[in-house]
Formats: sequence, structure tokens, C-alpha cells
Amino acid sequence: MSERSVLITGCGIVSAIGRDCGQVLDSLLRVRTGVGPLKYLKTGHTEFPVGEVKLSDEEMERLMGIALGTPTTRTALMGMIALHEALGNAGLKADDLKECGFVNGTTVGGMDKSEQYYLDFIENDSRNAYIGTHDCGSCSEMIAGRFGRFKMITTISTACSSAANAIEMAADMIRLGEADIVVAGGSECITKFHLNGFNSLMILDHSQCRPFDAERAGLNLGEGAAFVVLEEASHAAARNAKALARLSGYGNACDAFHQTASSPDGEGAYLAMSKALKTAGLKPSDIDYVNAHGTGTPNNDESESQAMMRVFGKDLPPVSSTKGMTGHTTSASGAIETVICILALKNGFLPVNYGFSNPMENGIVPNMDLHKGCKLRHVLCNSFGFGGNDSSLVISAVE
Amino acid sequence: MEEMILKLKQEIIEVLNLEDIKPEDIDNDAPLFGEGLGLDSIDALELIVLMEKNYGIKLQDPAKGKEIFKSINVMADYIQKNRTR
Amino acid sequence: MEMKGLDYVVLNQGNAQLTELYRAHIGDWPKFFKMDTLSKAGFVASELLLKKIGERRCEGDEFIQNRAIVLFGSTASLCADRNYQETIQDKDNYYPSPALFVYTLPNIVTGEIAIRNHWRGETSFYVLEEPDAAQMAFHLACAFQDSVTESILAGWVDSRMNDDFQVFMTIIRKEDAADTERLAGQLQLIINDLNK
Repeated sequence: MSERSVLITGCGIVSAIGRDCGQVLDSLLRVRTGVGPLKYLKTGHTEFPVGEVKLSDEEMERLMGIALGTPTTRTALMGMIALHEALGNAGLKADDLKECGFVNGTTVGGMDKSEQYYLDFIENDSRNAYIGTHDCGSCSEMIAGRFGRFKMITTISTACSSAANAIEMAADMIRLGEADIVVAGGSECITKFHLNGFNSLMILDHSQCRPFDAERAGLNLGEGAAFVVLEEASHAAARNAKALARLSGYGNACDAFHQTASSPDGEGAYLAMSKALKTAGLKPSDIDYVNAHGTGTPNNDESESQAMMRVFGKDLPPVSSTKGMTGHTTSASGAIETVICILALKNGFLPVNYGFSNPMENGIVPNMDLHKGCKLRHVLCNSFGFGGNDSSLVISAVE
Repeated sequence: MEEMILKLKQEIIEVLNLEDIKPEDIDNDAPLFGEGLGLDSIDALELIVLMEKNYGIKLQDPAKGKEIFKSINVMADYIQKNRTR
Repeated sequence: MEMKGLDYVVLNQGNAQLTELYRAHIGDWPKFFKMDTLSKAGFVASELLLKKIGERRCEGDEFIQNRAIVLFGSTASLCADRNYQETIQDKDNYYPSPALFVYTLPNIVTGEIAIRNHWRGETSFYVLEEPDAAQMAFHLACAFQDSVTESILAGWVDSRMNDDFQVFMTIIRKEDAADTERLAGQLQLIINDLNK
């Protein structure tokens, strides 16, 4: 690792279990799920439980002080809420953003509004302002533009590992000396488009999802956004910014097995975790907790179990998937789970694998106890995406 | 049945984009998955859609596909017995 | 010091060209016919490039971990999105297609290339407004910041309509990225060719 150390000096989150860090922490400590019957998305498929953010678009627009009738998307609105908290948390003002990069992970982008207004696009020109809000890049610009002018903005679209890769990209920029401060994360709302898509792949559970359980039958879709402020250590010290944690290592690898399915031996996941440990200069036994990708699909949890057993051998640290509470927030999940890891580090507890009851054959047994008051030094956070795009981050406590 | 099998083969070739394969290349008793045609899990899901769309058969459990897609003969037989259109 | 230019392949002439090129120069990967235009374009261009530079392909259990794939495009998977949307558009003919849905992610093209070549390094897909040599050089230099990457299959791949695409593929070695400005200059020459 280079001498330029990457600190996390701010974070913000909105998800099914809370609209800021405080609420999310409270839900994690009470082991309260945000997965429930569908309420905000307008679809006939009400049979699937989902982890929706408990705010309508209008409520979010009011929260962010957006003028009525301004074209915006749910992905952008959630991103603004999370970015607002992250910037406030790091003590960054509009004027500071000109030296600050912004890397956003999203894949669905503004699909929600395209669905609502698709017929208007074709039949009349009444909603054409929303054509420009469709693509992933425009969502990033809307989120960032709400707060000022960033030094640079870019968007990473690598399915469910998008936000983790955004964080890796930001850390690379800092290590390379291209920037001293970069805000990174992801945002993604639930849409009919991918609810139908995951349904057509037959990987949605009709009841509460059960990561790592023998009876697991698929995932519950979730939504949300989260951002972390990554900052070079001396830059943070110069402005008296308080570090929440340190991003000490990270890795990305390709499973190179199938467009959507994970390989049975979890080779890509194994390589991503190994690479993250290597860049952090840590041994597997240094890791005190793993926040697993753990979607609840038969395929992922089997493959990820194999990969974790290969990395850690007999010394498997406590592992949990928090997707039983948040739902699978797809492109945002890497950032949402990074913030959950930071909350666990700061507050000394192990998030519980909600939904689990029976161990699977040849699988890991996830953590089911909060262990309040425990001291965590290094935690690993996994994020795997379609296309075999596997990422892993190591987040460490700061002294 | 012969006619049904030919039609089914043509449908499979079309829906799975098996450009270089002709109906006579598909052995009625050979497994559709694994070696043979080189089909994968996404192809299996497309075959489930095909059965629903063309024959009105709704399959809820993807694991059940494994038995039905054993071969063209098994699949044609299943469709014959369960079709609603 | 004079440096040799980058080897690259540029394609931008309609879908029929891709099938023709596949049949003439590749031919042993029937999965090609199932791909969306974005993946077809990326796949064919990568195959032609590897042929051009004469790189040996991994066989059996062999794999390469130090080759990353970093691709850029402006419209991501928009074309596949539209094709899939058509399968859920009509209430009375409503069959969301799993095979089409799979391609509604821009990074599937990186996965397809990785699967073909047994490459297990980093894979990324960045959304940029247009082929911007400076931005691309910067992102590529970043990708060499990890502990393993020695070379990158890099390129621009974009498809707005089923029969319309623009792609270039090139291989960047670690030493090519040491000077980001010079790399940008070399990429600009390829971009000029792409825009011709």
C-alpha cells in the first residue's frame, strides 16, 4: 500500500431501515427488518416483499427543498438525502466541493420515471423533460449538482458491485495523488424493470429472504443510497476532520464463469477477498467480522460460503448478511453495507443475519447475536455483481 | 407427435438463438443441458417462458425444469400432457 | 523517447458486419448469437485484437489474474434495456425475457470477454458522455493502482440501436500508463480513427 492513507471522514445513508445513520444504527441494534409489503412502487406484482425507503418521491422532494415540477428521479432523490448527510457529517461546505471528486455507482438510474412516462414519451411530448433524467450519468449529476460544483463526477455501472467499485475508484484516485478528497457510493431505487427481471430469473423469494439458510429461496429487492467521504490522512488532519474509519484495503476480480450465476467454488469472490487482504497488508485472522454479500439466492450463498471457507479456513470470523433487513439494494449495496460496517466498528457490535434459522449443507453459519460491546479492528465487506464482477473492501478502526 | 417435436425444435432454436443448429441436429433422446447443445441456466429460464407463452404451461419451480428438459422427447411428452393452449 | 503506438481494433459498421466477422475469424463460440449488440461488438473487437497481437488463450483450468478489463461507453445498456422493455410493455403479451434481462447491465460485456479468455482480474464499466481521452487515461492509470494488474484490455463500446454500434479495443500495459498525458495522446489517435 502506498503512503497515502485513505480515511473515511463522513458517511450518509438512506435505506429501508432508516433515513440517516442514527436510524439505521437503531434498527441494526434492535434487529428490525425494513422488508415488508410493497407500498411505493406502482406494480401488479404485490406478492413480493421489498425493502423500500419509507418515503414517497414527493416527501423526498420536500425534504431536499426541490421546487415542484422539477424533473428528478427516485434514484437521484435518495442519493441527495444520503449525500446531504455525508457532506454534513464530514463538515464539507459547497465551497469545499471544487477540490472534491464524486463517484457514483448506479445501474437502474432514472428507469423509474421512464416507466411512469414511457407512454407519454411515445404518444405526446408532455413529459419529455424526463428523457434526460433516464441515464445513469444524469442521476449522478443531479445528486452532485444539488450541493455545488464538484471537481469531477463519474459513474460506475457494474450491477450489484457498482457502489463498492465506486469506493475503490475513489481510493485509487487518492492513492494516485489525483485528489485529496472524493465522495463515493451509490444509489438505486426499485423499479418494475428489474423487479420483473429478477422475477424472470426466478430468484425472488415470495416471503422474507433468508440468507445462508438451508431453505433460502431467493432475494428481496431493496433500495437506498449511501455515500462515504474518502480523504487523504494529512488533508483530513489539516482541516481537523475527524476520521470515522480507514479504508485499508480493497480488491476486485472477475469470476469469469457466467453472465449471472456465480461459480460453485466462488473463485472470483475468493480472489477479490484475497486481493483486499493483500492490499491491506493483513492476514485472514486479522479480520473480526465479514459483512457478506449474502443475497439469499441458493447460488450466491453457496458460492460465497465456499469462497469464505477458502479464505479463512478454520478461523472463520463472525459473518452476517444484512440484506434480510435492508433487502438487496443492488447497485447501492456496497455503499450501504460499508456504512453498516462503519456503524458496527464505531459502536462495537456485530450485525445480525436476520432471517436465518437452519444451517445449509456445506455452508457457513452466520452470526445471530449482536455481541454488544465487542471491539472490532478490521472488517471485510463483500459485494458481488452480475457479470462476475466481485469486490471486497477492508474497513479498519482508527486509533 | 413427430410434427409436434419438429415444431418444438424450431421454437427452441429460435428462442435460444441457436443460429448454427438445424432441427435434425438435435437428437430426440440426448440431454438438452450439459454437453449437447451447451445450454445454461438462462436458457432453461427461456424454455420455461416458451412453455408458458406457446403452450400455457406455468412452471413455478425452476428446479422442476431439470426433469422436463431431460430431452426433446421428455419435453414434448410433458407439453402434450399439460398444455392448456 | 519514442514509443510504439498502441495496437487496436476499431469497428463501427452495422450488426451484419459483426456476424460476418464472427463467422470469418472466430466461429467457435456459439454464445455469440445470444449476445446483445453491445456484447457482440465488444466480444468481436476483443477477439480480433487478441488475434492481431497473437496472444495465446488460456486453456482448461488456466487463468490470468493480472489482466483487467476497463470499458467505457455513453449509453451503457440502453439498447438492451429497450429490447427487454418491449417484453413487458404489453399487458396481454407479458413475458419478461430472462435472456434479454441479463444484458440490461453494461458490464455484462466485460463478463463475456472475461469468460471467453479466463481472465480473473478487475473488470469495470464507466459511463462517460463521449470518448474522452484524458478521462479514459486517468481511469486506466487508476486501475493499475492495485496489487496485481499488469495489463488492461481497454476500450470504448457503445450501442444506441440494435444495428448501430461504435467500438474500439486496445491493450494497455503498465508502462504505457506511467505517463497519463502520453497515454491520453495515444488514445486520442484511436478515438480519431473511431470518429472517422
